[in-house]
Amino acid sequence: MKINDLKGLTLPNKKDEEFLKINFDSLFSYDFNDVQTYEFDIMGLETIEDKTIYDSVLFEIARNFDNTQKVITINKNIAEPIFLIHKIKEDETLFTNSLKIKIAKDINAQVVEVFVNSSSNSAYFVNRIFELEENATLEYVKVQDIRDSNSFIFNSYIDQKEHSTLDFTNFEYGNGFILNNFLNNINNENITYNLNGLVKLKDETTCSNLIKTIHNARNSLSNINYKHSLKDSSKAVFKAKSIVNETALFTKAFQNTNTILLSDDAVIFAQPHLEIYIDELEASHGATTGTLDKEQLLYLQSRGIPKELAYDMLLKAFEEKIANNIKDEIIKEFIQNYERNKYV
Amino acid sequence: MKNTILKIENLEVNIKDKEILKGLNLEIKEGEVHALMGTNGAGKSTLVKALSAHYDCIVKDGIITYKNKNLLDLDVSQRANEGIFMSFQSPIEVPGVNNSYFLKTALNEKRKYNGLEEIDAMEFLKLVKEETAKFNIDRKLLQRDLNDGFSGGEKKRNELIQLLMLKPDLILLDEIDSGLDVDAIKTVANVINSMLDGKKSILMITHYDRLLELIKPDFVHILNDGKIVKTGDYTLALELDEKGYEAIGIKDENK
Repeated sequence: MKINDLKGLTLPNKKDEEFLKINFDSLFSYDFNDVQTYEFDIMGLETIEDKTIYDSVLFEIARNFDNTQKVITINKNIAEPIFLIHKIKEDETLFTNSLKIKIAKDINAQVVEVFVNSSSNSAYFVNRIFELEENATLEYVKVQDIRDSNSFIFNSYIDQKEHSTLDFTNFEYGNGFILNNFLNNINNENITYNLNGLVKLKDETTCSNLIKTIHNARNSLSNINYKHSLKDSSKAVFKAKSIVNETALFTKAFQNTNTILLSDDAVIFAQPHLEIYIDELEASHGATTGTLDKEQLLYLQSRGIPKELAYDMLLKAFEEKIANNIKDEIIKEFIQNYERNKYV
Repeated sequence: MKNTILKIENLEVNIKDKEILKGLNLEIKEGEVHALMGTNGAGKSTLVKALSAHYDCIVKDGIITYKNKNLLDLDVSQRANEGIFMSFQSPIEVPGVNNSYFLKTALNEKRKYNGLEEIDAMEFLKLVKEETAKFNIDRKLLQRDLNDGFSGGEKKRNELIQLLMLKPDLILLDEIDSGLDVDAIKTVANVINSMLDGKKSILMITHYDRLLELIKPDFVHILNDGKIVKTGDYTLALELDEKGYEAIGIKDENK
């Protein structure tokens, strides 16, 4: 089974502006032995048909194989975060998984998802819908650790009601072919949307983050903040597009990305992009790329810390800024102590 | 006879292809305090940078012997662990690296280098407490990130905490008094003087005679155009303060 052979889908192409610099060829032309729906190990989840209209074809690939969706509804405050651990074991298989996470009105919830694999030549297509009712708060943390000859396509579609807050933090550790796609159409007022990511790559990984945020309603905030730490011949693509329409007065729209290139062969393609149709707003965007600060390195060394250790200390300081944004202490500790080998 | 801790012979150093030090000679013995004075651009900072292996400095020629070792064979951290401490004119801010963690790491790296056992967090805190209490230095600085958002005075106090903990043998002070008020300068002098045990040596750059009053140098050197042109005792600093460079026969290149 090849994705290229799917009927009725206009697949992304690296020539499309939206997918520029991302090469899907080897994934779409790969002949998988099997297609399976990845099932959660949770009893009694509601199952619905996914009828959402997405304005991104990437959601359609998973839905094409299985148009059902599981639903987790959180309608009371829970003391501890919900952890969902996904582990792909079968080789040569295309997996799909579709889940809607619904947070009821006035509810405060935390969800962590971890994606790991022990498979080879498999692909995992994940669709997520986040529905936050009025005044709901969700802290959602994703750890992606898909390695070696595997692919991972993660699509998230966000629907927030008035006064809701979504704190969305991503840790991209894997070295497979990785693409994350984030859509948030802000159609309600007083929404907070914080999207953070640490992209820590090595080997010949490609990891892309496509982020599209459309502000249609007043007084809402979107704050996108990504850090890349790139070793070896790894390549990261960061494309953030935030549109602020006429109806979205007093919007705050921020985009920022910082990259540290740790090898001559590492590549970042960073494209923060704001499209603004009003004057009454606060907005900023920025992208920095560099190496570790040599003055800081020298200072640490001048107090007796060997170069390699000084290097690690500075890199850790850079990377930890993303984890430091996490509000829930249990999750923060989980991230600090995360080790892949606990799961595979 | 006192042992020589540092011997610099015919040192030539370039910064960005510009010749700064042009055959400098200097010998420092254990327990001695040396002051280095000179007009702007004479090469004072370059000398202390070259001694601590700053990446800006290219040593073109000369020999530096430190504790009977060829100093030029050692990298930045090795020099530090051999006991050379350069106090930065403007200490670098390192956000995200906790000050206490940094100092404990530095201390343990030095201990490891010298074949000593590492100390744990409890012992470290006890040590810091003992050392800072002697001079009334605020330990709250240790809870923050290294120099991050510190005022000028706080940065210098932080350098003093490092000095007290690392106990170096050769202390290079590059204008440690700059930007400090009189009380803060007194604290600096108290810390430095307390460390003078007859073994530790100091090379300090200063424009300010107040600091020299508080830390009496055994030798005062005047650096001009990349060489030491005059050496005397404390009275040379006084003379310089009173009459200026021109009067003692030194042309100020800045004029």
